Amino acid sequence: MITVLLLALVTGAILFGVGVYGALSQTNLVMIMMGVELILAGALVNLVAFWRFLHPESYSGQMFVLVVMTVMALEMAVGFGVAIARFRAKGSVEMEEAGDLKG
Amino acid sequence: MYAQAFFVAAFGLAAIGFGVAVFRTSSMVRSALALLFSQTAVGCMFLAMQTEFLGVLQIMMMATEMSIMTIFMVMFMMDPGGLGGMDMSHQKRFSIGAGLSAAGAAIAVALLADWGPITAEAPDAAMQTRELGIEMLGRSMLIFETAAVTILTAMIAATAVAIPAHTLADNGNKEVSE
Amino acid sequence: MSAVVLPILPPLLAAMAVLILRRAGPVLALAGATLSLGGSLWLLARVADGHTETLLLPGLPEMPLRLVAAPMAALLAVAVATVGTFVLIHAVGYMRQESHLPRFYGVMSLFLAAMQALVLAGDWVGLLAAWELIGLCSYLLIGFWFQRPEAADAASRAFLYTRSADLGLYIAVFMLIGSAGTSEIAASLEADGGASTAAGLLLLLAAMGKSAQVPLQDWLMRAMAGPTPVSALLHSATLVAAGAILLIRTAPLLTPETLFAVGLVGGLTTVAAGVIALAERDLKRLLAASTASQYGLMLIAVGAGVPLAALLHLLAHAAIKSALFLAAGDFQHARGGTGFDRLGGIGRARPRVFAGFALSALALAGIPPLSGFFSKDAVIAAALISPGAAWLAPLALTGTLLTGAYLARALRLLWQGSGNTRPVAGSAWMMVGLWALVAPAVALGLAFGPIEAMLDLASAEAEGTGAVLLGLLAAVGGLTLGWLVPAPRLLGPVHPWACRGLAIGGGLTAWVGRPAMAIARGCEYMEVLLHAAVLNMGRGGLAMARLVRSNDERRLYPAVLHIGQANLAMARLVKSGDERRIDGLIFALVAGVRSLGNRARALQSGLIHRELAISATVTAVGLVALFITLLRF
Repeated sequence: MITVLLLALVTGAILFGVGVYGALSQTNLVMIMMGVELILAGALVNLVAFWRFLHPESYSGQMFVLVVMTVMALEMAVGFGVAIARFRAKGSVEMEEAGDLKG
Repeated sequence: MYAQAFFVAAFGLAAIGFGVAVFRTSSMVRSALALLFSQTAVGCMFLAMQTEFLGVLQIMMMATEMSIMTIFMVMFMMDPGGLGGMDMSHQKRFSIGAGLSAAGAAIAVALLADWGPITAEAPDAAMQTRELGIEMLGRSMLIFETAAVTILTAMIAATAVAIPAHTLADNGNKEVSE
Repeated sequence: MSAVVLPILPPLLAAMAVLILRRAGPVLALAGATLSLGGSLWLLARVADGHTETLLLPGLPEMPLRLVAAPMAALLAVAVATVGTFVLIHAVGYMRQESHLPRFYGVMSLFLAAMQALVLAGDWVGLLAAWELIGLCSYLLIGFWFQRPEAADAASRAFLYTRSADLGLYIAVFMLIGSAGTSEIAASLEADGGASTAAGLLLLLAAMGKSAQVPLQDWLMRAMAGPTPVSALLHSATLVAAGAILLIRTAPLLTPETLFAVGLVGGLTTVAAGVIALAERDLKRLLAASTASQYGLMLIAVGAGVPLAALLHLLAHAAIKSALFLAAGDFQHARGGTGFDRLGGIGRARPRVFAGFALSALALAGIPPLSGFFSKDAVIAAALISPGAAWLAPLALTGTLLTGAYLARALRLLWQGSGNTRPVAGSAWMMVGLWALVAPAVALGLAFGPIEAMLDLASAEAEGTGAVLLGLLAAVGGLTLGWLVPAPRLLGPVHPWACRGLAIGGGLTAWVGRPAMAIARGCEYMEVLLHAAVLNMGRGGLAMARLVRSNDERRLYPAVLHIGQANLAMARLVKSGDERRIDGLIFALVAGVRSLGNRARALQSGLIHRELAISATVTAVGLVALFITLLRF
């Protein structure tokens, strides 16, 4: 059984790495959000694997997954709100051009 | 058990493959769809790990979310089809380094840690859903309620941010002038 | 691993490999198909003594997916793999000039795998999945040249037609699972009562869609816009056969009324499609109409209560029709099209291909000792002994007559006349594929005895000699008529209508398009109503707001103003006391914060990626620090 747990954990880790790469390397706001989604997906895989193989008797694990899913949805919603505002103001959501946010 | 290992590995590979595909195509629509498939594969991994409710929830939520994302992609990109073949990335070397070291560190922890005893049997699906409901309205009630309020706040915030700026200014002017 | 997966896995793996590697398409696809053929032959050898092999796979809760290899399923798997292999060999030559080959070979392999899964599926869920997959693959393959408008149109037409009819299968499957309590096909077939009649009729609807029975026959003719190997595979052993296979497998479920409906639909189709074929001006479309007509004959046999005859005819037809299509593909390359106006005299220009075509055509018409003679004889015998013989037997005989007539007409048009023949690239591959399928088309009749013995199903031997004589008479009569009399004279007033494909009540537009449009229009109407309601609500709100506001201004506003003025006065009083002592402290604090802010400002570049990088680095450093503390204590 430990194999399955390790498989899931390694998958989660790689998803996390891919997400980090995406969030750091993309120029487009929406693409950055995609990277963040992948990071969170990696976290989700780990959480479910921990719940299933280590503590199936405690449902706080599943609750945690629900909360992370909520966070994903919220990140999306607020992110798109910002993207719309940005697009209205500047006509683009390219983050290279966001130097005018400099304080 | 072999079947479980096989399906977890297969869906995991699919999730990773599509996850990589997100950043390898220059077509935005394709990358949004690749993300959708990746998240669906993650949902399928949940199913393979006998977590039916969360798996189905993940698949349904991500399907909606990513379809919306596709629409936004088409709206906001200067080149949604990726026909220009522009490179849409920057600080590549740092990003690759960061991604690799993050994944490497997490894998190292996963492989080196002592995870303790493994439970072979999972509770059945109906039992899980019931227990999750009780957890949600019992011990985790506060978290659940907080999440609800946060969702409401985020909805209001997102709408407020997205409303065109000039309408706010107009109303403000009127109120002040009176 | 059980032997049951052997026919399915190789083509599936080949499809994945072709789509991932994007090269070596022909080799991989051929390897997959050949392995599948070997696997299905081995499977047939294992189950030939009548036992079944079952493989349970995890599926839905309470409904595991199962693959069941009964003798009939194994036999069908062999047929599918044989046709698939030789069609692929032919395709190597046929598709030599094309681009996008990985897509072609990948989808062809997937198609084979899906069809094998359909044949071997032992439960309804798996069958539905395979059914959907072959629908998808046929859509992709018919639309292979999607740049051509007629191919794209034909693909979506085929998809729409079969999908509409598939609704029947879905409802039937839900009913069967609901009444039997299990998704296993063999168990659910024992259900009876009202549900079984309704389910049987719905299954008939699904089979009508896939097997192109009247009035849903139109898509099959248009599907000829795809590449010819695709047509050969589609018509002989895969997509179109799926409908007939479904009915053959579910035959025990069908009640007498349903059986009669099946037979009647089959009979009408065999005659109508035969008439259409007689009027066609294009070789491939003629063969397509002939497919619909032959599947009509199979439905007659199922309706007569002798599924064995339908199965035999299905097997013979698979070999014959794929051979005919492969020959047509060769002609197409030689003359740049398949219209009869271009194909005149091709028979004399390419005699070896024409010989294969003619042999297969004679086999289909039912001339002894070719395979079609035995299978058609079984169908006619079945029709003669069935309870509805008064209806079914004349229809079956007319169908046979028409088969002979249109095939003889095709042979005549291909033999007479003249035209410019181009050399054909890849002709050797195509010849191998063609003759490898002509061989079973000729000799399959020898195998029918052992097959009957193996399957242990009721056959219709009773009125043997009468059926043989009648069938032979009809076939020879049809051939003579078709060779001697031109089509317009033979059909008389029906001819123009037949040229339009006997479209009943406007064809697709009336049966699928118009209802869809009506639903859309209804939705639009609802939306207009809703919109008006929302607007009215908004207007009401505005009016109310105006009312409230006028109230406000008159009374509330002056009061607020007075309070404000009083506050201001008090503030002025307090301010004068404050300024001297506290202000100094506050100013110092402000100066400190400002200088700190100036330093932080350098970090705040507004460029998200840089800030993300900074936060990622800081997080990493923090984690490392945490880790070190953990190590030490």
